[in-house]
Amino acid sequence: MFSMLRIDTATETVTKETSDSLEYLLGGRSLSSHLVSEEVNPKCDPFGQENKLFFCNGALSGTNVSSSNRLSIGGKSPLTSGIKESNAGGIVATRMAQQGLRCIALEGTPPPNSGWRIVVIGRTGTEFLDGSFLAGKGVYEKSDLLSEKFGSKAGCITIGPAGENLLYASGIACSDPHGVCSRYAGRGGLGAVMGSKKIIALVILDDGDRKPDYVDQEKFNAAAKQIIKLLKENPISSKFTKYGTSAMVDICQALKVLPTQNFRHGVMEGAERINAQALYDTIKERDGEGKTQHACMLPCAIMCSNVYPDKEGHLLCSPIEYETMALMGSNLCLKNLDTIAEMNRIANDVGVDTLDCGAAIGVAMEAGLAEFGDDKAAVAMMEEIRHLTPLGRIIASGCKIAAQVLGVKHAPHVLGQAIPAYEPRGSKGMAMTYLSSPMGADHTFGFTLRDEEDTLTKKGKVDLSKKFQVIGSRMDAMGTCNFVRYSVRNDMTPLLDLIAARYGVEVSGEQFDDMVKKTLRIEHQFNTDAGITIADHRFAETFYVEKQPETGEVIDFTDEETLQAMQW
Amino acid sequence: MVTIVFKLSEMGTVSLDIDEPVPFSRVLQLCAQKTAVDIGGVIAVRGGRLISQEDLVHNGDQVDVFPAISGG
Repeated sequence: MFSMLRIDTATETVTKETSDSLEYLLGGRSLSSHLVSEEVNPKCDPFGQENKLFFCNGALSGTNVSSSNRLSIGGKSPLTSGIKESNAGGIVATRMAQQGLRCIALEGTPPPNSGWRIVVIGRTGTEFLDGSFLAGKGVYEKSDLLSEKFGSKAGCITIGPAGENLLYASGIACSDPHGVCSRYAGRGGLGAVMGSKKIIALVILDDGDRKPDYVDQEKFNAAAKQIIKLLKENPISSKFTKYGTSAMVDICQALKVLPTQNFRHGVMEGAERINAQALYDTIKERDGEGKTQHACMLPCAIMCSNVYPDKEGHLLCSPIEYETMALMGSNLCLKNLDTIAEMNRIANDVGVDTLDCGAAIGVAMEAGLAEFGDDKAAVAMMEEIRHLTPLGRIIASGCKIAAQVLGVKHAPHVLGQAIPAYEPRGSKGMAMTYLSSPMGADHTFGFTLRDEEDTLTKKGKVDLSKKFQVIGSRMDAMGTCNFVRYSVRNDMTPLLDLIAARYGVEVSGEQFDDMVKKTLRIEHQFNTDAGITIADHRFAETFYVEKQPETGEVIDFTDEETLQAMQW
Repeated sequence: MVTIVFKLSEMGTVSLDIDEPVPFSRVLQLCAQKTAVDIGGVIAVRGGRLISQEDLVHNGDQVDVFPAISGG
């Protein structure tokens, strides 16, 4: 049986429930989207009493299997007005498993003018503490204070000032293995939902004594070793280890899909100054606290994360990922890794999504608030968020709202969520994935780019996107890191063997994919019930009528084609 | 002569003499033999366009080859 802790933030009462359904067994997005679909009124106010936040670990959380401790967070998104699943690495999923928990639910909202609360979950129970000493502080300072109070090994979840102030691009920060809340479930504004419940931190103490049970421990250990072997032997995984996701800068530049100048272009002159090699060489050269390899969760054999040091070798930001390098770099015509790192650090500290805020700054630059390529202006706009100025609040509300307020037609979003780092006119597979995702524009939802025979034609892209929507959703479906998928892409058996050995439940590859498709169906149904229509699954009109200069392409998908990619 | 530039790889640049157009998959095989490196999945770009394993590579072509990773 799997346990869920329901926490009513209005009454401060806590109840425990158990279930042995397949959704609970798999955990991850299978469970979070199931619970949102079952328990949240699709038409509710995302900041109102009816919205809930579900924190779910996965089928292999708490075990020694590499890369299996993602934390899936689900709720209704203020950014998209639809269902949202956003996940993060870190140690929270592990701590939940050690407390015997598959899910923690935050429900209700406290009365107006209620103070900030910290929810602390430990072996002896759950308590509510005064959280006012954290209010208004940046996430790094909050992180230090939480570590001081609860120990650096506690699994902490917190929000920044952006979430406290209900800004739509607010993320949720989770403890990394060093006790720093730097692993973000960044997308969709769930940090603001947590803020609406007046929970400033959720802490899972490091006193859990639950060890994982195994139906067949010998078989489980053998299967766990097989995962390590697959990851180590996979040449792609080894590239992740050395360069992380930043290797995408060169790939996207070569394919002319590197977001540049508010998604006006797909190529940036001087992109080599912010590419993977530049990042790797800078970290190596500065040494100190810098790391080119870093595990965001334990255990992890991939270690795609990094620690970027400042010129003195002190930690500036961890991690820097490709999407941030593009949205806060090339998209703003910035060619300085230190600037990108500084903006990333501010984003982590104020608690916002780097993608939506990077895109919003691109919109602001197009509106004439600053010049593209102006490093100081870009950093200053991030500082406006910290100081909660009107402009800062606009930027931290994401690129759709920024475009509406600032009068910019070329707003790079779908369903209110900023387009990730692949220019859609130059990659029709990615464009179809953005269009058809129930989460708003999301690259992890169905990453087609490496498998598109011709990136510029829409022919075959509905089917290709659907194929990768399933492949891309498999790892989320059980709380495993997306990058494990390279090793099990054609055969899920190694992961399914682990489930069988742990729980004694045989799930075939076909059954697993049926579960993935069911999740996609209920996510789309939630959005339909929320009032979202196909008209919301479109890019801004400019993407349909203005050619991308480097490829000569426009978006040429019809609503009917998008609907086909949403049918499961 | 075709030039294969392996980006972010210890393989560096590999030049091959070919008498006639050959599928890119064959070019990769020849590169692997020449360098004794396991290439793995790749994204190959010629003139700003992706090429597939079946596409023919011609004398004089330059192909940039990247590890087939994705963003996170």
